[in-house]
Amino acid sequence: MDSEHIIQLEHVTKKFPVGDGRHFTALKDINLTFDKAEFAGLVGPSGSGKTTLLNIIGSLDSPTEGKAMVLGKNIAELSHKESAHLRNIHIGFIFQVYNLLPVYTVFENVEFALLLQNIGESERKKAAMEALEWVGLQDLADKKPDKISGGEGQRVAIARAIVKRPSIMLADEPTANLDAKNAHQIMKILKGLNKELDTTFLFSTHDEKVMQYLDRTISLRDGKVEKDKTTNESNKLS
Amino acid sequence: MIRFLLKGILRDKSRSLLPIIVVSLGVALTVFYSGFLEGVMGDIIRQNARFETGHVKVITKAYGKNKDQLPIDLALLDVNSLVQSLENQFSDMDWVKRIRFGGLIDVPDENGETKGQRPATGLALELFSEQSKEAERLDIQNALVSGSIPDESGEALVSYEFADKMDVQIGDEITYFGSTMYGSMALTNFTVSGTIRFGIAAMDQGALIVDISDAQKMLDMQDGSTEILGFLSSGVYDNEVATNVMENFNAKYADSSDEFASVMVRLRDQNNLAGMLDYVDLASGLFIGIFVLAMSVVLWNTGLIAGLRRYKEFGIRLALGEAKGEIYRSMIYEAVLIGVIGSVFGTAIGLGLTYYMQTVGLDIGQFLDNAGVMMPITMRAKITPSLFYIGFIPGLLAMVFGNMLAGFGIYKRETATLFKELEV
Repeated sequence: MDSEHIIQLEHVTKKFPVGDGRHFTALKDINLTFDKAEFAGLVGPSGSGKTTLLNIIGSLDSPTEGKAMVLGKNIAELSHKESAHLRNIHIGFIFQVYNLLPVYTVFENVEFALLLQNIGESERKKAAMEALEWVGLQDLADKKPDKISGGEGQRVAIARAIVKRPSIMLADEPTANLDAKNAHQIMKILKGLNKELDTTFLFSTHDEKVMQYLDRTISLRDGKVEKDKTTNESNKLS
Repeated sequence: MIRFLLKGILRDKSRSLLPIIVVSLGVALTVFYSGFLEGVMGDIIRQNARFETGHVKVITKAYGKNKDQLPIDLALLDVNSLVQSLENQFSDMDWVKRIRFGGLIDVPDENGETKGQRPATGLALELFSEQSKEAERLDIQNALVSGSIPDESGEALVSYEFADKMDVQIGDEITYFGSTMYGSMALTNFTVSGTIRFGIAAMDQGALIVDISDAQKMLDMQDGSTEILGFLSSGVYDNEVATNVMENFNAKYADSSDEFASVMVRLRDQNNLAGMLDYVDLASGLFIGIFVLAMSVVLWNTGLIAGLRRYKEFGIRLALGEAKGEIYRSMIYEAVLIGVIGSVFGTAIGLGLTYYMQTVGLDIGQFLDNAGVMMPITMRAKITPSLFYIGFIPGLLAMVFGNMLAGFGIYKRETATLFKELEV
């Protein structure tokens, strides 16, 4: 495997049983690589395999055939505990719905990701505040999730994902529930973090607003890579 | 992590309130029930020991076989040397002679004619000796309703009920009718020096208490007594120590076929106390067991509902990189925290109820009118050190067990569907 690629997918196929011994093939012979600090997106209609691919890269699922190497680890060979460890340390997730823990404050939601890594209290607090500053929410640290807006909620979710400085960030339709203004604001924040932290970002989206920011767009259709296009710098928002 | 979980428990009332209420109630009932049993059984044991059984008792073998008839003709003889020998062999115990006898009390009117008669249960003990702790042991001073403890020969205490019904006043003369140790008639006058109420039905119905020297003279049993009671120095019955003392003593007479040979019996072998003590142990264990089981089922269901409500939270945590085992363990930690909080509340409530029942008590006198059992008229609970922790056993066990069962669902969770699940 090329050591430059932090994600390498070789002939990845994913099939799901649908009963009576039959299978639905969600991904067919996918061959892709992603390098450090890429800002890429998987685009395509529903059922094209975007989320399945994110699942495999995020070690939430494993391929039926082929090999998925993430940070040098073969996803199919990881135990549940090893997969959890990989996500805990190296992979951040941003969901379509912000999925904050409602009983904890904004600060505690961000801090929680570090708590899972057994990081000491003072270091945890410093890093959590820094992450909130990245997304411009340091003043809302003591608020509960139900007291903040949708856009702010998504920024907290970004802070929670980025606080552990993961190598890979996986975002599933991160702007789907946001208005245009908030969507652009979120994408600018993510783009800034991509540059500042050298984190590889991989989106699953069909939102034009997101696509405008991508360096690379991979179109999927019926589980296959239809197009893999690096965006021209002049056409790209930053 | 524990602090983080505690914050979640305290802030999320729906996660903690019902389990804490269930645990608190169960623990409160356990503590109260244990305190009540401890109190009542402790009273029964203490009163049996003080009045009748001692912690151990020496009698003749023949007396033991017929003890319900109070057969003074089968009493111990040469008791002074026997007491001396017991004091030498078991020097850390207190040994006392007592005579229990039955008879009839005749109360005369102002003309000396019989005004009334009633059967009486007599108890003779060392009242005059300054070294004797008997008056203190029976708490006679506090049991006195009127008058004073006999301090000279020919004086007697009678139960308050008896005196009330027979219209006997302090200073009145009463006559005891009975038989001596050798079967001849015993007829002795006593002056009533005081009336007593012990709060024990069996003692308050018709007790006559005299000094042992008067009883020995009256019953013609010089240097004799029906029994010698032994009390452990701690004042508390310890079955293991009592058994050792009994076995050591009885070993000397094991081969004797003499029916007048001395034999020692423990408290638990008298007045059916063994059965009662075993029953209390069993009932206590059973009660706690039933509570653990019942609360576990309730808390299991509560845990299942909480698991459904927190389905999304567990999904987020799995996605963030928490392993299933870690989430399961955190649920157990939460259960421990809730169990501790509930147990603290429950113990406080239980102790409050126990204290109330210790102070006020439950009067069962009307049910004990004809009871021969050495039982207190007022049943009282008792706060003991064990009550401060006993509730934590069912409280923690039920909470942890219930959540362990409920938490198994986390292992069935498929991480592959997390993105879809968390989109909603």
